[in-house]
This record gives sequence, structure tokens and C-alpha cells, in this order.
Amino acid sequence: MKSRFALGAVVAGVPLALALVGPWVAGGPGPRAASFTLGGGHPLGTDFVGRDVWDQVLLGGRSVVLVALAATAVAYLVAFPLGVVSALTHRAWLEELLMRPLDVLLAVPSLLMILLVAAVLTPGAAGLALLVALVNIPDAARIVRAAAAEAASRPAVEALRMQGETWWRTAVGYVGRCLTRTLVADAGVRLTGVLYLVATAAFLGVGVEPDAADWAVMVDRNRTGLFVQPWAVVVPALLIVALTMGVNLLADAGLEKRRRTWTP
Amino acid sequence: MDAVTAVAEIKNLRVEIDGRAIVDGVDLRVLPGTVTALVGASGSGKTTTGLALLGEYPAGALVSGDVRAPDGLVGYVPQHPAAVLNPARRVGALLRDVARAQVRHLPRRERRTALRERVLRALALARLPDAETMLRRYPHQLSGGQQQRVVLAQALLLGAEVVVADEPTTGQDPSTKRGIVEQFAALAREGIAVVLLSHDLDVVRALADEVLVMRDGHVVESAPPERLWRAPRHPWTAELLASGSGATRVEPVSEGATTLEVGPLTARHGRTAVLRLPGLTLHPGACLAVVGRSGSGKTTLGRCLAGLHRHHDGEVLLDGVPLPRSLRDRTRQQLAAVQYVFQDARAAFDEHRPVLHQVARTAVRLRGAAEPDALAEALTTLAALGLAEDLVRRRPGALSGGELQRAALARALLARPRVLICDEITSGLDTVTRKGILDTLAALVRDRGDLSLVLITHDPATAALAGRVVVLDAGEPVEEEAPARRVMTGA
Repeated sequence: MKSRFALGAVVAGVPLALALVGPWVAGGPGPRAASFTLGGGHPLGTDFVGRDVWDQVLLGGRSVVLVALAATAVAYLVAFPLGVVSALTHRAWLEELLMRPLDVLLAVPSLLMILLVAAVLTPGAAGLALLVALVNIPDAARIVRAAAAEAASRPAVEALRMQGETWWRTAVGYVGRCLTRTLVADAGVRLTGVLYLVATAAFLGVGVEPDAADWAVMVDRNRTGLFVQPWAVVVPALLIVALTMGVNLLADAGLEKRRRTWTP
Repeated sequence: MDAVTAVAEIKNLRVEIDGRAIVDGVDLRVLPGTVTALVGASGSGKTTTGLALLGEYPAGALVSGDVRAPDGLVGYVPQHPAAVLNPARRVGALLRDVARAQVRHLPRRERRTALRERVLRALALARLPDAETMLRRYPHQLSGGQQQRVVLAQALLLGAEVVVADEPTTGQDPSTKRGIVEQFAALAREGIAVVLLSHDLDVVRALADEVLVMRDGHVVESAPPERLWRAPRHPWTAELLASGSGATRVEPVSEGATTLEVGPLTARHGRTAVLRLPGLTLHPGACLAVVGRSGSGKTTLGRCLAGLHRHHDGEVLLDGVPLPRSLRDRTRQQLAAVQYVFQDARAAFDEHRPVLHQVARTAVRLRGAAEPDALAEALTTLAALGLAEDLVRRRPGALSGGELQRAALARALLARPRVLICDEITSGLDTVTRKGILDTLAALVRDRGDLSLVLITHDPATAALAGRVVVLDAGEPVEEEAPARRVMTGA
């Protein structure tokens, strides 16, 4: 269990550290070299417009990682109260009012929605984060509601009501706490989905400039030189994969139950 | 006795969770063809010892000692047999799955007949009559006693030499009980060793060849039942054996005043009416028992009064003032006045917080007490119910079912209720704990004067506490508020 936690921390830690610290470490824009070259003072070669790949890797993580983390956090921030309130209420109309509009949103393919909004509004990084959060709210709210409904039907909740316990303590203190395991497992998967969506959006040019320093954009733009200079594609792609894998390993390790110890 | 080799043996077993030893220094020898009974209060370590024979221990337990048992040949019949039967498969399929592994060595064309033969033999040994129709049924179409026999048949198919039965007679009516006793006696005659974990002393006396009396994880006395009942050596054994007698009856103080009045009431689950009650009156200091089989609507009645079931069209008046149907709309005073103790005490506690803090919250929320005062009061109430401070500072997981039930009672009592509704709070408890809880309730009603009790139960010993009894059948009272004595002897 410990080893899995350590593995997850390392695997997720490398891309996270690169993304967050990278921009400060990276030097200023150096002189441009020829496109898709290897060596010549560039440890990972140069990219499609002759920039240093290592510099681009250092600069390009922050947007992807921050947008993905922010989008996941915002999605839960909205989904958690929606789901818990509709699970705990006994008024059918309130539940309908909260959950039905989300079902409509759920029916629209997420990428289509992002592209549509992007075509009209041209969002920046913050806008992209909000958009991705928006398309994630319906299923996150459904998962919260389903898990909370199970917890809310337990005698423990009736006992809390019998004690005249506050709504906050019942909803957050008990039901919310019962949800932790489900939500941690879901968050691991959801972050993967969000990263994929953010990377795809960047790949399609939503929210970022076509030559921006961004891991997803790097994968897209440097594809043409993949067989001449693979590092410009492989390194950012690996970093994205490592981030999602590491986060899921961490979530799994957190969920692992304490096993019984045996002393003969 | 020593000439016979024990089929399973436990030597100096110690099981410890979070620094608390739940079983300590237990020795157990299981001989073929005998019934060994472990008796004791809930939380005395019976189940832990029994499960040790299967090599099963609670999560996070520290285990020391020797356990020798035939590998894979120990059957287990749990208290709730439905939980171990796949509800989506017929009984026949459940049994054939187990038997299939046993006929693998035979040539392919003989397997089918051999399989059938083995299944029928196991069913006969488990005393399931009418095997052909049984095999086609699903587990939910069987009664609790029949489910138990199917689980037993599964164990027998595996060729179990030892069968551990956990509270097989709890919650069964007397005639079913007799059948279960007969079934385990027959099992022992077949040369199978039976380990019986029970707090039903009548069953133990009828069945056991050797009785181990457990308390707080120790075996305090072990002897054949005749010797034990004739001359118990340990004071705890004497107390355990004496507790079978009923509790003192509570008679209403005054017939004049009325605490709770229920008008004509029809309660529904969806569209189906599950309870039709012409009316009900509860006097201060009275104790009313609501009895009936499961599904008779007795729990629904209690939940209507407590505001937990709001789909009804009747009126519940407290001191002449109608109570809101849902407890969410009740004021603090109204909530405090009518309290409800849940049947499943473990499910009614938050598993993440210490018991003491959960109990104390009642006083904080319903009576506006300050946190330290509430904690002190909770400790006093819990201590009066026999729960020590170091125990209630733990989380619910560290307490036994009986201990949690007492804590749940304390939680309701801290509201200083006028009406206390107890839903089957003594089912699944051993006789000593049950008598303790019933005596506590009787004393409470006597001391407080204005407290009224509603006991929902199917246990005659518990109903004997009540001055009056309402018998429900299929949602309708068949004998309304008859004197308790007549109903209980008539039933």
C-alpha cells in the first residue's frame, strides 16, 4: 500500500512539478534554430518553428494542468451541493428542479458544446476551465446524488433528524463523509476525463494560441516531425499520461483499506 | 472423552482490536458427533471464537494462539442466512454449484446423476422436505428457517465435519425453533460436530453436550448442561441462567390524562395501505406493546407516531395539539417529546464519530444544553445503562450490538421524552442484556411518571412489560388494547 502511494506520488509529482515550477525555471526565448533538429545545444531538440523543446515543456504544462485541476474543482463545487440537496430533500419538485436541467446538458456531447461556445465567444484559459467544468457538472452531480441518496436513507440520518441535528451537520458531516470514498474514486477518473478534454480542446485550438507553449498544442503541432524528432511529441504526451496515471494511483492508494495484521 | 480425537481445536486464542481484547485465552475442543454451545451476553466474544474456526477474524485484529480445524471442511450458518445466498439464482443452482467441484473426478456421463444424488442427500440431511419444489425456488421465496437449511445443505455438500451455527433460533417463533433444534440434533447424530453460538438458553439446554459460558472474551465456566443448570459454579453463570424469567410489568399510573392520541389513521407505502388503525390512546406512565408478525404494520405505526413515515392521513395529537406528519416540520419541543429508538442500532449511529458525542448532541440540539454539560449528562446516562466512559469514547465499530442498543436508548432519553417508541430493541440480544434493558425501561417509567412507552416487538418476554397490548395482523388491529396477559398466553 505504501509503495503504491509512493509510486503514485512520483508519477504524478514529476509532471505537476514541471507544470507549476517550469515557467520560472525556463529561460527567455532563445534564438530560433532550424525546425525539428536534434542536438546542437538543445537537449530535446527543436520543435516545428525551431524553438527549444525543453523550454517549451517547462512553459507548456501550467495551462493544461491548472485548467484541468480548476475545471475538476469547479465541477465538484457545483455538483456536490446540487447532488446532496436533491438527495436529502423530500420535496419531489425541488429534486426535479435541480436535476432535470442537468439531464438536458448531459444529452449534448461535451466536445460539441465546447466547440460551439468557443466559436461564439473565443474563451481564454479561465473560460475554457469553466466550460469544461460545466460539461462535467451533470454526471458529477448524478454520482453525488446517487451515492448521497443511499447514505440519506440510512437509519443514521433518521436518527440525526430525530435529534434535531442541523442540516449542515447531517448533509456535510454525515452524508458528505459517507460519500468520500465514492468521490475520491470518481475524482481520479474525472480528472483523467477533464485532462483529455482540455488537451483535446487545446489540440483543436480552443482557449490557446496555435503556437502557444502548451503540452497538448505541442503534441498536435509537432506531429508532422514525429519521425524526424520524436521528443517534441513523446515528452509532452508522456507527461500528460503520467499525470493522469499518477493521480489515479494516488486515489487508489487513498482508498485502500487497512488490512488486518496477523501475528502467529 | 479424551479418547476421542477432537475434529477441531482452539488453544489460548486471543483476538485484539485497537488495544481491546475481545477474546482472551479461550480454549475449545470440538468432538465429532457432539454439540458444543458458546453462550454469553452480546459482546462476550462468542461469534469471534466461532469464526476463528473458519480462519476468519475482524478487520484490523491482532490474533495469537493456535487454531486447528479441518481445512475447508468447516461450515458456517450465519444469523441472517439470506445474506449468503445469491438472490438471483434458484436453490437448485446454488447447491449444484457447490456439488460440481465434488464430482469432477467422475467420468463425464456419470456426473449428472452423481450431482443430483449428492444434492438430494444433502437436502435430506439438512431436513428440507419436498426437495423437488425447493430446488426450483429462489432464496426470497423461502422462509428464514428454510434459507438456513439451504445454507446448511451447502456446507454439508462440501463434506463439512464441523458446522458453526450463529444464533440459529433468533427471531424465530417457537414451532420453528423446535424444528431447528431437531435439525441440529440430527446433524450431530450423523457424526458432525456442531458449534452453537446462541443466547437462547432453552435451545442450548435441549441441544448441547458441552456448554462454554463466555464473558468479556473469557470462558468463565464450561460443563455439560445438566451440571450447569443444577449447580452453576460461577456467579455470572447463575445470573445468566436466572435471567430467563420475565421483567416486572408496568401498570399505567392514571387513566385520566392523555399524552398521545391517534385518530383514525391509514398509512400507505406508495398506493398500498399497510396500516388501518381506528384510533389509539396513550396515557402518561403507561406502557403499550404493539405485537404482530413481520409485515403486520407495527413498525409503520411506530414510524407514523415519530414522524418518520409521513404518508398517512390520520392525526397524531400530543396533549391535544396535532403533531406535524414529518419530523422535519416538528419543533424542538415536539421532537424531544416523541423519541424513537431504531431496531438496527449499528445502522442508526454514524460510524465515523465517537458514540459519546453522538449521544450528547441530543441534549445540545433539543434542550439547548451547553456542550460540556451535555457530555457530562450523556456520560451519566450511559453509565446508568452500564456503558463505561472508555467504551463510549470509541467509535460505534468497537461496541457490540447490545452496547450500541443501550447507547441508542441513552441518546433518546437525553431528550427527556414524554413518549418513547422502541422498535424491536431487544431482538437479537441475549437474555441478560434483554432483561437489563427491560428493567431499565420499567424503572424509567416508574421514576419519571409522565413517560409513556410504546414497545414494538414480537418477543413475548418484552411484551410482558406492557400493561396493554395491540395485536396487529395485516395492518389491522385484531385485538385492540386487550390486557397483556390474555393475549400473550393465548398466542
